[in-house]
Amino acid sequence: MGSDAERDVVTLVDELIAEQRELTAVERFGRQHDRGDRPLLEKHYRDLIPLSAPLPGEQYAFEVELDACSGCKACVSACHSLNGLDEEETWRGVGMLRGVEAKAALGKIAARTEPVARFVTTACHHCVEPACLLGCPVLAYDKDPATGIVRHLDDQCIGCSYCILKCPYEVPKYSSKRGIVRKCDMCQGRLAVGEAPACVQGCPNAAIRIVTVRPEAVRNHYRPARVDASGALSDPNPFLEASPQPSYTLPTSRYITRADTALLVPADAARPRIEHTHWPLVLMLVLTQIGAGWLCGVAARLFVGTPAATLRFEGIAGCLLVVAGLVASAFHLGQPRKAWRVWMGWRTSWLSREAMVMGPLAGIATLFAASLWYPVPIAGAATVLGASLAAATLAAVFAQSMVYIDTHRATWTARETGPRFLGTALLGLLISIRAQPGVLIVATVVLAALECRVFHHRHGKEWTPWKRSAALLLGPLRVGTVSRFLLAAAVVAAVSLAVPAPYVLGIVVLSALAERRLYFAAVGHERMPGSPG
Amino acid sequence: MPLNPDFPWLRAWNGPLTADLVQRPGDFGLGRVPERLQPDATTSMVCGFCATGCGLTVHLREGEAVNLSADPRYPVNLGMACPKGWEALAPVSAPDRATAPLLRNRATGALEPVTWVRAMHEFVGRMKGVQERHGAESVAFLSTGQITTEEMTLLGALFRSGMGGRHCDSNTRQCMATAHVAYKQSIGFDAPPYTYADFEESDCLVFVGSNPCIAHPIMWQRVLRNPHKPAIIVLDPRRTETAMAATLHVPIAPKSDLALLYALANALLARGAVDRTYIDAHTDGFAEFERFVAEFTPERACADAGIPAETFASLVEAVANAKRASFWWTMGVNQGHESTRTAQALINLALMTGSFGRPGTGANSITGQCNAMGSRLFAHATGLPCGREFQNPAHRADVASVLGWPEERIPSTPGWAYDQIIDGIESGAIRGLWIIATNTAHSWIHQTRFRELAKKLEFLVVQDLYADTDTAKLADLILPAAGWGEKDGTLINSERRIGLVKRVRRPPGEALSDFAIFRLVANAWGCGDLFRAWRTPEEVFRLMQRLSAGRPCDFSGIEGYRHLDQSGGIQWPYTAADAAKAGPGPLPVEWRERRLFADGRFHTPTGKARFLFDAPRPPVEMPDADFPLVLLTGRGSSAQWHTNTRTGRSAVLRQMYPADCYVEVNPEDVARLGLLDGRPARLETRRGALEVNVVSTPTVPSGRVFVPMHYDGVNRLTAESFDPHSRQPSYKHCAARLVPRKS
Repeated sequence: MGSDAERDVVTLVDELIAEQRELTAVERFGRQHDRGDRPLLEKHYRDLIPLSAPLPGEQYAFEVELDACSGCKACVSACHSLNGLDEEETWRGVGMLRGVEAKAALGKIAARTEPVARFVTTACHHCVEPACLLGCPVLAYDKDPATGIVRHLDDQCIGCSYCILKCPYEVPKYSSKRGIVRKCDMCQGRLAVGEAPACVQGCPNAAIRIVTVRPEAVRNHYRPARVDASGALSDPNPFLEASPQPSYTLPTSRYITRADTALLVPADAARPRIEHTHWPLVLMLVLTQIGAGWLCGVAARLFVGTPAATLRFEGIAGCLLVVAGLVASAFHLGQPRKAWRVWMGWRTSWLSREAMVMGPLAGIATLFAASLWYPVPIAGAATVLGASLAAATLAAVFAQSMVYIDTHRATWTARETGPRFLGTALLGLLISIRAQPGVLIVATVVLAALECRVFHHRHGKEWTPWKRSAALLLGPLRVGTVSRFLLAAAVVAAVSLAVPAPYVLGIVVLSALAERRLYFAAVGHERMPGSPG
Repeated sequence: MPLNPDFPWLRAWNGPLTADLVQRPGDFGLGRVPERLQPDATTSMVCGFCATGCGLTVHLREGEAVNLSADPRYPVNLGMACPKGWEALAPVSAPDRATAPLLRNRATGALEPVTWVRAMHEFVGRMKGVQERHGAESVAFLSTGQITTEEMTLLGALFRSGMGGRHCDSNTRQCMATAHVAYKQSIGFDAPPYTYADFEESDCLVFVGSNPCIAHPIMWQRVLRNPHKPAIIVLDPRRTETAMAATLHVPIAPKSDLALLYALANALLARGAVDRTYIDAHTDGFAEFERFVAEFTPERACADAGIPAETFASLVEAVANAKRASFWWTMGVNQGHESTRTAQALINLALMTGSFGRPGTGANSITGQCNAMGSRLFAHATGLPCGREFQNPAHRADVASVLGWPEERIPSTPGWAYDQIIDGIESGAIRGLWIIATNTAHSWIHQTRFRELAKKLEFLVVQDLYADTDTAKLADLILPAAGWGEKDGTLINSERRIGLVKRVRRPPGEALSDFAIFRLVANAWGCGDLFRAWRTPEEVFRLMQRLSAGRPCDFSGIEGYRHLDQSGGIQWPYTAADAAKAGPGPLPVEWRERRLFADGRFHTPTGKARFLFDAPRPPVEMPDADFPLVLLTGRGSSAQWHTNTRTGRSAVLRQMYPADCYVEVNPEDVARLGLLDGRPARLETRRGALEVNVVSTPTVPSGRVFVPMHYDGVNRLTAESFDPHSRQPSYKHCAARLVPRKS
């Protein structure tokens, strides 16, 4: 390449780079439009949305024609783009049911079953009794009385994610960038002006439409829960095959198909997914429970005559545990500065109620610990304080249990939750009162044994939430599972070897943290069908 | 009563977080859009992924794309798009774009950023060096169906006439070569005869090796708009999404399609369900064909294909009863060891039933890439522009006169096909390779061999949007290219519609359009003078129009880019005579959906179509005791495109398919082989092994397994085998085994 040519290249490079930065599409191809043009897609979706707003006693709902959906997932993208969601954020998802379906005779071909996979597009079901709304501690959800749309108030949200645990359909999505949850609002702004929601606009097969339904009819359809003679929930699920039982939240979406889908199973049924471990919550639960139990033990010893002076440091230790637990819980919030709102949902939210108990518990714990140093000079004060502490502990553990039981997640039953939460507090108490080693060992062994109940589900034929939980504990979470039981054994060993109480307490804390982490990570729950692979 | 009416005054109904999602009327006919992304102008352009060629409305702010939606006015997609289209801006917005030329430091082996001037110096110096040492034909290029036609035209002319190279091909060899050859042999020109309206007007649609629900969702949308309650028949070994939605699925054994289609022809003959008048007037070779198919009895076909006799009878019945039968094929046919004859078996069926040139009929190839046809017409790989032949002096003279070049500048020898170029690397005939917008190290069949051979090259240049593709990692020099939305030009879709792409984004750093890079190379090479009249894409478009004049693909009547823009793209042919009839300005509606061959005159010398056929042969590698399964590969989801170079950069698309490679296995095989649904396994062939997750599904028949082609390493497994006419690789048949693995 000669130097002239090289100079040419230099000039041309500059020219081309400059040209590459010019954006001329508007001047060259700009379109003439009038402001306020009606949407060009209107004729496509006119028949896919109701002509008018819902009448009193009605609400909007999604209706999905399963037979028309070919699984292209344009609805997911259209929702993402037309709502301007964050890069990773999607409000709609497409899962799959598969198996065999009965087919009627066709020409010379006799009736038969044929393999099939059916796609299920799903977003918010704008439930009649939205679990998200009822569980939200700060009233960040609103069900519009006119349209029934369940709307999330983004600026009210404290980012506690409880709605994510409450919603059986995994609808609210946490945005770590914003520290709040966001969700589908059925494009209420579009519906209000006669435009179709983004997913309806985007479906090439017109498989999604908006209809009006009567919440009363939904309620009557799904409740009382269909129970057969044996007491089990009847099949098929009247909402959608292999999806959460609709009697819980009364979802308004309708899935329509002419096919017999009774034999279909979710494509992800055999692929259990590790659930989110909410570490701040794990810490909060374990530390407050052990700390409060321990303090109750201290109070009991005070009550039976142990001198306050000898209990001072144990009182501080218990108090610190409780306070540390509460501090940890703040790290769970995406918007901790708005945490003061947490009581607002007391009427329906167990999380509000838990918060309303935890505050006083911490207060009483502090007062109690302080009283060991500076006794209250009123007769019976110590007893009242101790009794209050015991009552607050019981109330706190009860509220904490209810927070999870009320999510209706299959493995977070009262039977599973109660013994863990109460048992943890009990261990704190037993160590504190220097209970007989035998008692501690029995308590530890019994609690660990109760956790083993889930394992007998592993050989179940169907992929129930219990089987998924067992499969997680014995599969991807097995290191955690082994650690958890080794730590329980360590507690037994430490107690047997008469290790001093503070050390035992430390091991019990670790053991309980291991247990609680699995409580979250291996939770089994009914969910919408997911994707294969 | 509201569900929870407490404390309305304490609730933040509005605020900055709520404002993030506020919508405003978008104007421009868009309906409401996010206020954050409200456009001040819009423009329409065609999508740059597949050959459906959907129109996308790009939302512009100060000339720059901020969002997009499907274009309701575009005649292809009528306001719809698949997820790839919706996410078309994500790949160019990716933070990991190549921003400067990268040169491999020979001492350290690392790729280091250099200036364009240095990059061109290296490119020209080393390519010319290779040519001096090993001959002008020792450098080759492999390009793509993904860049604009103008770019392909410039590249082909630059390489063959400017750089003196001979061997060049494109990844359309992996995709459309079969359709090209099949049409050319049968009807005289690579002319898919249909328009998408035919999906809506047919009363019997036969899809062979085609899964539009996933591969071409917008074409499936058109099928669903068909008001005639059509028979929809799918021939596919798998029960694909389309097979499930069809009225009849014919679950044939892999690669039994050719024999079955001959048997179908035979059965139609037996029923007298053929159009003798049409055959006599418009075809040649039918008598031989009739004799040939006589031995393909229904019994034999059903036994070979492994289907019940009733299923075959229903297929015959549906085609025989159809008034407007149409035959559609995609990669299941094109990527086979006897693919050209299989495509022609479909053309034969259309011819013998008179299903050509009428609404709702045709033997119709559904193309893969957005500009596969542009590549076929203009890339210089298989011929001179517009279906002209290298060896034909009259054709060379045509080209020379249009371009204003001396005739000896016009190449007179055909070059090698893709597989021959790869073989040429092995033999030492090819020493310098320039790969443009394709990912050979991922997509080429038996990829391990290519990856090994690439080390033999003296100079490998890769031109792409990203420096981290499997192929770019092997390069000595990486040229950073601008992508879709960052450059002007045209793409030609499956139904011959020429559509526009435009510059609505600035590429990062110093990335340049492929067009600009080719100009730069021409200049640095010292042949810039040849291309004085090729400065802008639109100038080249005018040259292309003149090259097309008088050819079957004549589009010389188009007024220019603006005309394309106003008309929703324009299908070829659109001759000067057509333009006189249609009048100036936006194309009248009746001109917007046009099909070919209404007059029954084909582009062969006799004007008649030919019946072409051959006895079916078994695939090269049949299952045996060691490798008892048949491995099928294909498109996995509508959210993945080819090697996932671009679609893998969209966070939204990534949520639509499994992150790790998986294999679909029939539940019986899962049990028999001791596999577990959802658990890892090792998929092995004679060429390599791949870690995959098992997906147990009855939609794959026992004895066959399916792996999506988008995951790296899939082509470690595939077996090199090519159709003898089209030289297209057969990706869809090799022997494999599955071994369980501990998780």
